Amino acid sequence: MRAAALLSRVGALLLTVLAVHAAAFLLARAARGGPFDQERETRPELRRALEQHYHLDEPLAAQYARSLWNLAHGDFGPSLRYRGVSVGEILAQSLPLSLALGAAALLFALLCGVPAGLWAATQRRRAPDTLVLLLTTLLLAVPSFVLAAAAVLAFSFTLGWLPPAGTGSPAHLILPCLCLGLPVAAQIARLTRSGALEILHSDAVRAARAKGLPRARLLRRHVLRPALVPVVAFLGPAAAGLLTGSLVIEQVFALPGLGAHFVQAALNRDYTLALGATVTYTLLLGLCTLAADLLLARLDPRTEALS
Amino acid sequence: MSRGARFGLAVLALLAAAALLAPLLPLPDPTEVRFERSLEPPSWVHDPVLGTDLKGRDILSRTLHGARVSLLAGLLGTAIALAVGIPYGALAGLRGGRLDRVMMRTADFFESLPLVVMVLFLLSVAQAYRDELAAAGLSRTHLFFTAVGLLFWLPTARVTRAETLRLRQAPFVQAARAQGAGTPWILRRHVLPHLWPSVLALLTLTVPRVILMEAFLSFLGLGVEPPAVSWGLLASEGIAALNPLVACWWLIAAPSFALALTLLALQLVGEGLRQPT
Repeated sequence: MRAAALLSRVGALLLTVLAVHAAAFLLARAARGGPFDQERETRPELRRALEQHYHLDEPLAAQYARSLWNLAHGDFGPSLRYRGVSVGEILAQSLPLSLALGAAALLFALLCGVPAGLWAATQRRRAPDTLVLLLTTLLLAVPSFVLAAAAVLAFSFTLGWLPPAGTGSPAHLILPCLCLGLPVAAQIARLTRSGALEILHSDAVRAARAKGLPRARLLRRHVLRPALVPVVAFLGPAAAGLLTGSLVIEQVFALPGLGAHFVQAALNRDYTLALGATVTYTLLLGLCTLAADLLLARLDPRTEALS
Repeated sequence: MSRGARFGLAVLALLAAAALLAPLLPLPDPTEVRFERSLEPPSWVHDPVLGTDLKGRDILSRTLHGARVSLLAGLLGTAIALAVGIPYGALAGLRGGRLDRVMMRTADFFESLPLVVMVLFLLSVAQAYRDELAAAGLSRTHLFFTAVGLLFWLPTARVTRAETLRLRQAPFVQAARAQGAGTPWILRRHVLPHLWPSVLALLTLTVPRVILMEAFLSFLGLGVEPPAVSWGLLASEGIAALNPLVACWWLIAAPSFALALTLLALQLVGEGLRQPT
């Protein structure tokens, strides 16, 4: 039963990827003015040769079939702007950086958000609770690029502790990771706080307390674990948030990740690269959501994540 | 109403008034370029109150004119999201059965997509049609509103559906149905009027997200186009001008502060509305 459910989820994910690919393909082909329209007039025979080389002269159905065949092989064709480089190469180069950044930001958000939320819940209506609520409200009201600009001004230009942009050392990733993770941490802290508050007032916790359970053990076993359920349920949307956040953060910090390449492709109308990135993002988001649902089903067997 | 909500409402009213009155205030033109006063820091009291940017344009004037675009984008974008989401959710909830299942499955499908990425893709393709769009009287701003509608109708539809499902069980809807009222009639007379409280709550949730999305797209260069100004565009210009020699923080501070203040005020109002009074 579980295996069949899992299989159907994977099947749905594949169908989604196919649908996104088809939509993006049609949109890109519908865009009037091909990639070879430039300021300079191209000679007709040269133009024909170019179109033949990129198979743009074939009927739409044949082009789609070719694109689908290439997709099955993980090949998205050549980039239309970066001459002599294939989209696959760009993806292979930029994806590891983006994945590392996203994973580090998520880890940071969890390590910051969960303890902060738990702390606020145990100190309800006292200074720590107010502090956490205030900070999270502020963080949720500030766009990530503002956070990034403030961080660069403070830590790079004024204090000179961290590099303002670029790559090269792990220190280069600290500021982007902080700016990407903090908004997610704020949401996680709020979720943990409200979840923990509910449980702290339950009969089970009162009974455990009456039994004389040590506080640390009580918090860890009886409060934290159920309080994490909404946090884990939020991991799917959090992945989506990190994904959109990385588009901006990579731009601000000049990181050559997938997000920066995708934004450049969208601005330059490099359709093959944009299509490859869109399909990759769809797959990535689907996998993250699936992983979060599996984790949720494991943490709380009552959820019908896989039904 | 709580103190926070009242404070939020006051801030919003002040911002809206400033945005509406911006052209009437004695301020320099927001697009007037004067290179001789490039990058002047804020003086707080006399002429460049909040300083000037790289091209000598007045930051205070630009921020206030940006408020017009950003706030309007928030309101119109939300209106589009509600106009799509409410009928969708209400219909699914009221009819139920197979139609409901199909409609909700469609919503699930949309939810599983990286919508922001797809909207960026759509906007980039639309750039190829700029001349045709301009001929039809449409600009990228209109496209932006369509995109926002595409992005934010999902939560609206879900909340509306849940609310409608609850209303469907209500005695007065059952009575209307027993008297032979059709779905459109019930929808218009009995369901939509009762959706107001949840719509109001949705409004305070969606407006900030739309404003943020406008800032996000403008920041990336796919939203509002110069010479128009918006907060996202101003912040983007400010970040582009950042350099270690002249720490021109005021370029970013003014639009960011306005943006954060607006979102904070909306959040406070929303929390005040959601709490039972």
